[in-house]
Amino acid sequence: MIPGKYRSVSGRATNNVNCGLHLVIQTSSLPEKNKVEFKLNKETPSFPGRLLQHDLERNYSSRQGDGRVISPSPRSKSSCISSTTNVTELYGLEMKTATSSLSAFGDSSIQTSSKSRIRQGCHSAGPNVSGDHINLVSSSMPSFPILQRSSEEKILYSDRLTLERQKLTVCPIIDGEEHLRLLNFQHNFITRIQNISNLQRLIFLDLYDNQIEEISGLSTLRSLRVLLLGKNRIKKISNLENLKSLDVLDLHGNQITKIENVNHLCDLRVLNLARNLLSHVDNLNGLDSLTELNLRHNQITFVRDVDNLPCLQRLFLSFNNISSFDNVSCLADSASLSDITFDGNPIAQESWYKHTVLQNMMQLRQLDMKRITEEERRMASILAKKEEEKKRESHKQSLLKEKKRLTINNVARKWDLQQRVANIATTQDRKDSDSPSQDPCQIDGSTISASPEETGSLDAGLTSALQGLAVIDSHLVEVDGDTLSLYGSGALESLDRNWSAQTAGMVTTVSFTFIEFDEIVQVLPKLKIKFPNSLHLKFKETNLVMLQQFNALAQLRRIDQLTIDPQGNPVVNFTLWKYYVLFRLSHFSMQKINGTEVTQNDMIMAERLFGILAHVASSELPQYRLISILGDARKKQFRYLLETKGKKPGIVNEENNDSKRLVGENTNRATLNYTTRDFYNEKLEEIKEKKKFCKMYIEDLVKEATEINMKNEALQKLWPQMFIELVRDAVIEIRNKNSYMKLCLQQITDQK
Amino acid sequence: MLSPERLALPDYEYLAQRHVLTYMEDAVCQLLENREDISQYGIARFFTEYFNSVCQGTHILFREFSFIQATPHNRASFLRAFWRCFRTVGKNGDLLTMKEYHCLLQLLCPDFPLELTQKAARIVLMDDAMDCLMSFSDFLFAFQIQFYYSEFLDSVAAIYQDLLSGKNPNTVIVPTSSSGQHRQRQVLGEASMEGVEASLFYQCLENLCDRHKYSCPPPALVKEVLSNVQRLTFYGFLVALSKHHGINQALGALPDKGDLMHDPAMDEELERLLVQVPGLVNSVTASPEASCLPSRTPPRVGSPWRPLHHSRKVDAESDGSTEETDESET
Repeated sequence: MIPGKYRSVSGRATNNVNCGLHLVIQTSSLPEKNKVEFKLNKETPSFPGRLLQHDLERNYSSRQGDGRVISPSPRSKSSCISSTTNVTELYGLEMKTATSSLSAFGDSSIQTSSKSRIRQGCHSAGPNVSGDHINLVSSSMPSFPILQRSSEEKILYSDRLTLERQKLTVCPIIDGEEHLRLLNFQHNFITRIQNISNLQRLIFLDLYDNQIEEISGLSTLRSLRVLLLGKNRIKKISNLENLKSLDVLDLHGNQITKIENVNHLCDLRVLNLARNLLSHVDNLNGLDSLTELNLRHNQITFVRDVDNLPCLQRLFLSFNNISSFDNVSCLADSASLSDITFDGNPIAQESWYKHTVLQNMMQLRQLDMKRITEEERRMASILAKKEEEKKRESHKQSLLKEKKRLTINNVARKWDLQQRVANIATTQDRKDSDSPSQDPCQIDGSTISASPEETGSLDAGLTSALQGLAVIDSHLVEVDGDTLSLYGSGALESLDRNWSAQTAGMVTTVSFTFIEFDEIVQVLPKLKIKFPNSLHLKFKETNLVMLQQFNALAQLRRIDQLTIDPQGNPVVNFTLWKYYVLFRLSHFSMQKINGTEVTQNDMIMAERLFGILAHVASSELPQYRLISILGDARKKQFRYLLETKGKKPGIVNEENNDSKRLVGENTNRATLNYTTRDFYNEKLEEIKEKKKFCKMYIEDLVKEATEINMKNEALQKLWPQMFIELVRDAVIEIRNKNSYMKLCLQQITDQK
Repeated sequence: MLSPERLALPDYEYLAQRHVLTYMEDAVCQLLENREDISQYGIARFFTEYFNSVCQGTHILFREFSFIQATPHNRASFLRAFWRCFRTVGKNGDLLTMKEYHCLLQLLCPDFPLELTQKAARIVLMDDAMDCLMSFSDFLFAFQIQFYYSEFLDSVAAIYQDLLSGKNPNTVIVPTSSSGQHRQRQVLGEASMEGVEASLFYQCLENLCDRHKYSCPPPALVKEVLSNVQRLTFYGFLVALSKHHGINQALGALPDKGDLMHDPAMDEELERLLVQVPGLVNSVTASPEASCLPSRTPPRVGSPWRPLHHSRKVDAESDGSTEETDESET
């Protein structure tokens, strides 16, 4: 039969110039005994062999399920249909037409070969009417039919036997056929492999399309090279231990769930497990000669171990459940793989599919049955590089983000601790100041009730925790587009940095988070110089508690928008804060506060509420106070400028004018300024000292004055009496005119 | 200088008692502080201005708290300044929290202590509801009492505590308020054991007024306040004081409650300012109307005559109907 098959193929081969068929010709020309060489030959020229094997699977797979109609490519499909019709209808007819018709079709070589086998069977049975008759004769045995062939037939086809479509339910006993090398039981109803253990020279056993449930009865067939068990009911790969020379193992269309018991098949070249129930691929080591592995139409989600197959060239994974390249990453490590299919997997739907595969498997020559061009490869590598870059970038981004998050968290924690410590401190202060006064309010209000020891210990704990945290990043500075974000008070130092003119010019939004407002106030002059375009200020967790704190913002060059986050800024809870901001910063003509447009009505309202305050402040302050208050403000503004004077005199001058102009613009408001608590306390301290001095000075003055006054008063009391006395004395003296005259003359002469 | 008391005291003490020394010290202190500026326009001019501003009461603007509370005149001036500057807030009808009032105070005096504001708020709100909103007038009159008579009230509190703890006589209590609402009377009945007996309390206060060196309300008016009730609580007393017209008049810093929103001179000034609001086009037509808008009648914060533990909601207080005369309540 084999020669017949190959003959027919050869006939086709003459029509189709195909390397695979050249090979076939070669083999067909050889004697049947050289099956081994046939294999070897197939192996050496990889292309023809590959085609042949591939088609074999394809046609087998197309046959199973809904019959031969379905097949992967339309080309082979048409061939199948036509060939079946040919086979069934032209059964027993002149075979040459059949051959020619078959040969007219594509390269479905194995199929045609099987067909030719049928024909061959017909032909061989021709003299005895048909192969069936042989079986009929042999079915005289009750349990197993015994097969006998006529002697001519034996001589003619001594090494092959085809029992195709004989409606066999069991394997017949084949007697006296020890030389058989090829045995074909295709399309029967055999449930168990039996009665062939004596055929020890068997090389080719075809049990395609039977009802076998278990692989068995093969242990003696040591020379078996091709075992075709497609379209059966096998659940488990087993009992192949002795088939060490197995070359082709076809198990497609069964119910196998696991690859096992194949590790000893070191000569196996082709393994077909298509249309089974495999959920994954592994346990493949030992298959050192495997060149083709067909795993189409399973439910495979991941593939492992493929890199242990040194000769694997073709791997078919179409129509499985592979969804990510990571699940098949071992494929990248296989050096021999040149042809792979993934079509019908979720992975093939992805946009990155092609270039990822190509990039990871440089050795590939075909993907999904299509040749890979250099262009594609280049594209893939470019795309992959881009992807890689993107990935790295995003990784970097996410790292940065994470770091930022951590830092912010850290800053937040520190801030919280700080706030708590501060709260405790103020509570303690208040307690200290309250305790002496026996105020019922204090007694009734139990808000302040922590015992001193308790607060003390808590305080200590918190400060130690603060110190521990100080090791980690305590602040964060970030420039994102036009936004400069500062987290933590340490970030304020960044304003001293040398910002590039471009960056500085671009920043229009400055956001402060977790920084005491009082600390921000101190850097506002710097901010004004370093980021002249900053128009939008954001404050969050900055301890804005008083309206007067907004006064500090007035010294800036310009603000368009102000955003005060309610979080950590109690001032936002006030009804009037917005109006106060509008009033105090009216010279900026702000556009938005907390994201809400400022309307004219708002402006009027602000003026209505606070206008009088400004008026009183400007018109009713005594001149000297006005000067001193404005002077303070100006001095404060220049404090920083003076520091930098040496470096940038030009700018300083400009600033000078600028601030003067600003102050001039709203003198009535300028009196409302804000000094930070520390600075204010400093000032109070200063005043205290001066007061002390003044007090002493005044005391002395007043004492002196009162003393003088007392003396004066005493004198005033005495004076009338004294005057009278004086007058009386004088009168007495001049009463005797003559003697008085004498006395006077005497005095005059004495003087001379 | 010509008052007859002058002769009764040595000069130095007299000056000190009349706070002349305080102003002299402060004047010199100011002079020291602003040496350079003042030297430009003359020391005589400075002193003239200084004492003029003391007379006008504008000397306390933006000064430190220690100076503001140093003399009764300063306190009264501060009260007046506060009223003048923020009358518009009250006129607008906004109800504010204690903290916000405190902020307003701090606009005029940066180191104004929170404690005083809290105490004033307690008079309005009672102890237990410190975050409630208050109307401007309620707060202002309570604040006036608290600020002006601060030391006196501290002493009164001490006396009250003494009376509560020890000398509280166990007499039969009769509800006294005849004009209170029914519900309130019930509450009164329950709460009547609270507080101290008024007559006893007055005796102590009279005593205190005699020897107190700080300013205290005229004893006759205190007597008037206390004569209307038999028993009263400390806060009841404070509220009565804060609502007493006579005391307000005696103090002289603020106008009567009815005229509280009335300050034509300043309103005129405000109109002038409103015209100048930047970017305003038709403000002239808009502003007078707006200014004439009937200001919401500042809702009275409820009667303080409820028990301390009975916490009150802000919303419940916003009805003006609970208006009662102070005298009848006390």
